[in-house]
Amino acid sequence: MQNWLSSLNSVTIDFTTSQWYFPRIVMALLLVVGLIVVVSRFKLVVRNISQGKWTFFEPNTDFFRLVATLVLLPVYFFMMDFIGGLIPNMGMGFLLSSIPFMFLMSLIYCHTRDRRNLIIITLNAALTPLLVWFLLYNLFSVSLP
Amino acid sequence: MEFFDLLSPAAFALAAAGSIIGIIFGAIPGMTATMAVAVCLPLTYSLGLHEGLALLLGLYVGGISGGLVPAVLLNIPGTPSSITTTFDGYPMAQRGEAERALKICIVSSLFGGIFSAIILFFFAPVLANFAIKFSYVEKFLLIFFAMTVIASLSKNVLMGVFSGLLGVFLSLIGTYDVSSGGNGEYRLMFDFMTPYLESGFTLLPVLIGLFGVATIIEQAEKGTRDESYAKRLQLTKGEPFRFSVFKGQLSNLIRSSFIGTFIGLLPGIGGSAASVLAYTQQKNLSKAPEKMGTGVPEGLVASESSNNGLTGGALIPLLSLGIPGDSTTAVLIGAFTLQGLQVGPLFIGENLDTWYSMVAALLFSNVVMFLVMFFAIRHISKVVLIPKFILYPIIVMMCGVGAYAINYGIMFDVWTLFIFGVAGWVLTKVGIEVAPLVIGFILGSSAEVYFVKSLESYGEFTIFFTKSPIALFLWLLIALSIFFSYLIHKKNKARISKEG
Repeated sequence: MQNWLSSLNSVTIDFTTSQWYFPRIVMALLLVVGLIVVVSRFKLVVRNISQGKWTFFEPNTDFFRLVATLVLLPVYFFMMDFIGGLIPNMGMGFLLSSIPFMFLMSLIYCHTRDRRNLIIITLNAALTPLLVWFLLYNLFSVSLP
Repeated sequence: MEFFDLLSPAAFALAAAGSIIGIIFGAIPGMTATMAVAVCLPLTYSLGLHEGLALLLGLYVGGISGGLVPAVLLNIPGTPSSITTTFDGYPMAQRGEAERALKICIVSSLFGGIFSAIILFFFAPVLANFAIKFSYVEKFLLIFFAMTVIASLSKNVLMGVFSGLLGVFLSLIGTYDVSSGGNGEYRLMFDFMTPYLESGFTLLPVLIGLFGVATIIEQAEKGTRDESYAKRLQLTKGEPFRFSVFKGQLSNLIRSSFIGTFIGLLPGIGGSAASVLAYTQQKNLSKAPEKMGTGVPEGLVASESSNNGLTGGALIPLLSLGIPGDSTTAVLIGAFTLQGLQVGPLFIGENLDTWYSMVAALLFSNVVMFLVMFFAIRHISKVVLIPKFILYPIIVMMCGVGAYAINYGIMFDVWTLFIFGVAGWVLTKVGIEVAPLVIGFILGSSAEVYFVKSLESYGEFTIFFTKSPIALFLWLLIALSIFFSYLIHKKNKARISKEG
């Protein structure tokens, strides 16, 4: 009995496969806790969804602004890299993609697109990236695409 | 004073600038101190260690303090920790006593901030000295304790545990690091991911994504409307502010600051817990508890001194144990790594200059915060009027810069930012809690090393119980945190069923 207990207690970890030792424990725990969550909350979640108490999107979701954000962000990051590849080592990828991005994003987020706001948006889109580029890239030597 | 000599004039200027930028972030509803620190990180890349930390600490103090402005004027907590400031601040503002309420909050914030900085100064080295003796076994148990505390204080304990485990899982993606005794083999990813994820996801883009980009997506979903705050933004003079209002409030100030510092010390717990606890305590001990919530100074004192008490408190486990006390200090851990410093029990002893300069910067930031807010509150309060369509694009741009420059120009880090931005937005909708996830992510790889090395060295599972009295003490703390969580949830359930 004592031998059996001590063999249960003793542990040897093979170094060549030790990269899996801890992740396997974490995955097993994730699975167990995940199952408990699903089992214990399944009825409640199904009831809430069917009664419309829980929806993925907010009740008054602004789909235009949400979708625009989800599209604009990856396009911005992609363009940053793309332009940076065309004109390398000058921070131009950042500067030349940030100006149109800032302009478009501000335009999308703005609810009253009157003359005054358009001027503010244009100035902000042109000057802020320029200032950041000048400060970070030229003055502080921070890497920019 | 020699103490302050460690800070260069530039560091003083940066701490002051940080406080002011932090106040602006804190004052804008939806922006938090964590976001302020995350967004301004790229500015520190080329600064020296002391200067960079001075800026970040200024942002932290300013960010937490700024939240009081919209809490009083608009009934909207600028940061989660100002939630209880709205209870008495807004009724006072409605009576025309906005300026008085704001100034009471500002003075209380200063007291809480200084109080916690002093506790930090005396307590962190003691804790670090104690933790130096920790072996892998105790270090693992300490992380385990931190994780149980975070999970047990989540809105839903099961989801808290799941979120924490998910964070740990994410931190294990990549190679089993040779420098920490691993075998350098890949795990938990497909072959095509190996060029990008050799050392796993980079901490800061993950954090900036979860706290910065996710917030922007969330706000876009809500429609980025600028509410018509202007009409409500009036600092009409009612009863003027006098320091005599603090007469009889000393015990409230000290108790609330202490609660804030203590809650800050516990890992992963947000500021709202601190201010709610301090407010409730004051209500329990007040001579006129029925008046609290109708616009009385004692409520403001409790709320604001406790949430600024957090700042020093949250830095204690970060600097002495390497465990972040809240989400903002989690971002700070990234800033330390960036400067090539590892926070943990040896940090203070080996970096005395940095340690003193941090405390000096923290104290100075509190003073700047006080001076700026106390004397320029009329101007500061207008910050809430900055339109979102100007602010949000700037934040996204700064997040992108921060992620790209962190490893000196790795585009994958920018995609990490985007992935975790979207993930942060989606995960919170399905009940995953960000705080335990982040703490799990930060501590996961250390937990692995400590756990596996303990077993490799001793060859038995029971070592986690039998190693030392400290191990047993840590198990006691773990048991206590689980017990308290059970009590809190039972009490909450009883309250809900009583109300419902």
